[in-house]
Amino acid sequence: MRRSRFPIAVTGLVLAFLYLPILILVANSFNPARYSSRWEGFSLVWYAKLFRSPEIWQAVRNTLLIAVSVTAVSVVLGTLAAYALHRWSSSRLQRLHFTLIYQPLVVPEILMGISLLMAFVAVGVPLGLFTIFLAHVTFCVSFVAMTVLGRLQDFDFSVIEAARDLGASPWQSTRRVLIPMLMPGIVAGGLLAFTLSVDDFVITFFVAGPGSTTLPLRIYSMIKYGAPPLINALSTLLLAVTLSAVLLSQHLADRRSGAG
Amino acid sequence: MNSEFLEFRDISKSFGAIRAVAGVSLGLKKGEFFSLLGPSGCGKTTMLRLAAGFEEPDAGRVFLDGRDITDLPPDKRKVNTIFQSYALFPHMTVRDNIAFGLAIAKRPKREIRAEVGRMLELIRMGDQAGKKPDQLSGGQKQRVAVARALINKPDVLLLDEPLAALDLKLRQKMLIELDLIHDEVGITFLYVTHDQAEAMSLSDRIAVMDGGRIEQVGTPAEIYESPRTSFVAAFIGDTNFLEGRIFDCPDRDYCRIAIPGLPEVVSFNDRAIQPGQPTYLSIRPEKVHISHERPETEARRNLLPAVVEDVIYLGSNTKYWVRAGSYRIQVLRQHARYFLDEQPIRWKDPCWIWWHADDGFMLDHFRKADESLLAVPPQRVGD
Amino acid sequence: MKRRKAEWLTSLPTLVWLTLFVVVPTLLVFVIAFRPANPYGGIGRGWTLDTIRALATPSTLLIAWRTLWISLLTTAICLVLAVPTGYTIARAPARLRNRLLLLVIVPFWTSFLVRVFAWRSLLHPEGPIKKLLEALGLAGPDTTLLYNPVAVVLVMVYTFLPFTILPIYAAAEKFDFRLVEAARDLGARPFQSFRKVFLPGIRRGLLTAVLVVFIPALGSYIIPDLVGGPSGEMLGNKIAQRVFSDRNLPHASALSAVLVLAVLAPLVAVLVLQRKDKKSKIIMGEAP
Repeated sequence: MRRSRFPIAVTGLVLAFLYLPILILVANSFNPARYSSRWEGFSLVWYAKLFRSPEIWQAVRNTLLIAVSVTAVSVVLGTLAAYALHRWSSSRLQRLHFTLIYQPLVVPEILMGISLLMAFVAVGVPLGLFTIFLAHVTFCVSFVAMTVLGRLQDFDFSVIEAARDLGASPWQSTRRVLIPMLMPGIVAGGLLAFTLSVDDFVITFFVAGPGSTTLPLRIYSMIKYGAPPLINALSTLLLAVTLSAVLLSQHLADRRSGAG
Repeated sequence: MNSEFLEFRDISKSFGAIRAVAGVSLGLKKGEFFSLLGPSGCGKTTMLRLAAGFEEPDAGRVFLDGRDITDLPPDKRKVNTIFQSYALFPHMTVRDNIAFGLAIAKRPKREIRAEVGRMLELIRMGDQAGKKPDQLSGGQKQRVAVARALINKPDVLLLDEPLAALDLKLRQKMLIELDLIHDEVGITFLYVTHDQAEAMSLSDRIAVMDGGRIEQVGTPAEIYESPRTSFVAAFIGDTNFLEGRIFDCPDRDYCRIAIPGLPEVVSFNDRAIQPGQPTYLSIRPEKVHISHERPETEARRNLLPAVVEDVIYLGSNTKYWVRAGSYRIQVLRQHARYFLDEQPIRWKDPCWIWWHADDGFMLDHFRKADESLLAVPPQRVGD
Repeated sequence: MKRRKAEWLTSLPTLVWLTLFVVVPTLLVFVIAFRPANPYGGIGRGWTLDTIRALATPSTLLIAWRTLWISLLTTAICLVLAVPTGYTIARAPARLRNRLLLLVIVPFWTSFLVRVFAWRSLLHPEGPIKKLLEALGLAGPDTTLLYNPVAVVLVMVYTFLPFTILPIYAAAEKFDFRLVEAARDLGARPFQSFRKVFLPGIRRGLLTAVLVVFIPALGSYIIPDLVGGPSGEMLGNKIAQRVFSDRNLPHASALSAVLVLAVLAPLVAVLVLQRKDKKSKIIMGEAP
């Protein structure tokens, strides 16, 4: 039976559609022309300008500060949650738990942003880095929990029993068997949380305050109010960073499933 | 004074609405290879998990060497387990897997190295010590699991269907190895399996379980040769069931039994039975003889005329299904000698079948449903 | 008893966190919608229905309608592109399959703002697409590619396409393609076997795909903001406008409440559909 070529053609077009804009953007970051329609030779002029901008460095500092603390907290909370969700998956409490964890994954970001803003305003928490941190942990926990839960899905719990059987206390079996075995999932979840925090714009936009500008907020105002070529350069750098994070986490995931 | 080494006393355990173990008492002797045999869901694995400390009984106590261990967590029991999935730590090498118990017990490094070396020797895997579990074959994983448990010198080794994941050839090889290891280390084995052949070939004693209860405990020969219940008779090997009523027991050891649709049958009896009581007989197919010619009539020989309905030639033996009265009876004939010129017994041939009164067993307990465990469930006229 | 304690200890941190930062804030949105605004951009005292009444203005209704059709159109286009793509990936040889999958996943890991920005420069009056169209004589100097609903749909399709492909691929990968052969054997033409056997076979993947596009599309904010212009505004823009320019939180709440209900509707619909299906208790397949 001959298979139709049509789906393959669509796939090719889809991949071109997905990558062309990004490739053009990367190319233009090395193009000294103000507008991207003409190629005026290879240049690093936009990168040079970028590195001299103090606002950018301030935004990078804020972004990293938030991302690192968000990753630390959400990895701990998310891993605990995933363990509970898997271990007692049939209990009523865990069904509620799962529904709660699922919310940030389905609710549009703008709703999460506005509802958190309302809550912070109602309680009187001053908007700033701290509120951004709280908001980011709220959605990152869910992503970490889901990633770790994925690892737990084919986790053979008799391994924990084996450790107990061989004389390990509950804590020893957790530290020497459970955590090392979940590590690839925990690391992948952490990388995901980190990139999501670095990348988040909508929620951050709602709960940010004066002096808490993050990189996406800075990019947004650059897009809206000027400096496109600078963004090309910045975007290319961001692409490089996120891509390395993705490839690293993919690599970890592959190694894990390969070891299955 | 209690002579049992590992003892379950009146154990009950339920999971939600499912009663996994229902009031079981059982004792293992020191150094014994003891098997729990039964179909899946019979409660045998729960018994093992109760011994290991992974489950707590709802009622009853577990004793090890006279000490009540019911409330001890798994890490405080001198009992180790071979898991069905082996449960090797995937992030550790073979060496670290085997060393785990001693490392947890904080034994000196030098001692651990020596012990692990000795264990690797025992399982003949000295050259694989640096490998991770996923680089090993099924049989090798199994051996590592055995070594990892034995290195702790447990009082009892618990084995949860350890051969189930292996193919037939490997299973037979491991069977011999397990037997050798048991002889060598001399510790008590509690072996859980659904495979009667495994249990028969390895065990000193077997407990047959069904529906959370123990049906019968005994040596393999006792279990096979004198099953007490229809479940045991049908689950282990093949059998024929005959249903009748005690007519009388003229010399106490033998009873005459009236079976509707058959001539009167004589059977060995070793318990107090009243004439008039209903009874069920179990007769193994290989105990029934078949021939064209009518044999001599003898005392305590049950002789019946029959007609052959099905014949399956299997090389070393032949299976016959014959119609006798209202019963369809299975007969297994071993070919110690087979003469090609002998007149074979064929389909529709009239024939004679007979068995000795000592070879039929009156069951203590009969359940119609157990007939479905037989390879070919019996059909009677009118069914 | 011991078990319950361990369960509570491991669940409590996230339960408390998510209650404080998801459940309570969401309820608050509904409460604040019935509060008056105060002139300082905060929330006033007392209760009022004015905000709810104000929702019924023609301009709000127009925007709600636009939000709906843009989301529906985006979802439809995404499906049309994602089904052949998911099919192709699922049928590719194992090694190629993983590569293709990675190719689909990578763009969705790149910065969302950056992707929208890339399109903004592509569609810019001085950008390459405009120049190309002009050179081909398909566009005059006054044609604007940016700031209209078409640009919004285009960029939304671009953004959500990977999310659509993944669940469809996941379903297609589990699909037994011998069923298509069986259908052909029984006389179905290629397209018939595709429509009557393959599509029903991956319907769970299709449902998930619809949800992961349609729901976030309803809540879109950045895309209409950056490429939509006034004629491409959606509910998300209105909510942001009420918060940041009008400083009217009750109004923003009321609009958000409408959005919450709009998001719940398809979720409930899918839930009901799947109850009928009785295949699984999970609302969606794997989370992306």
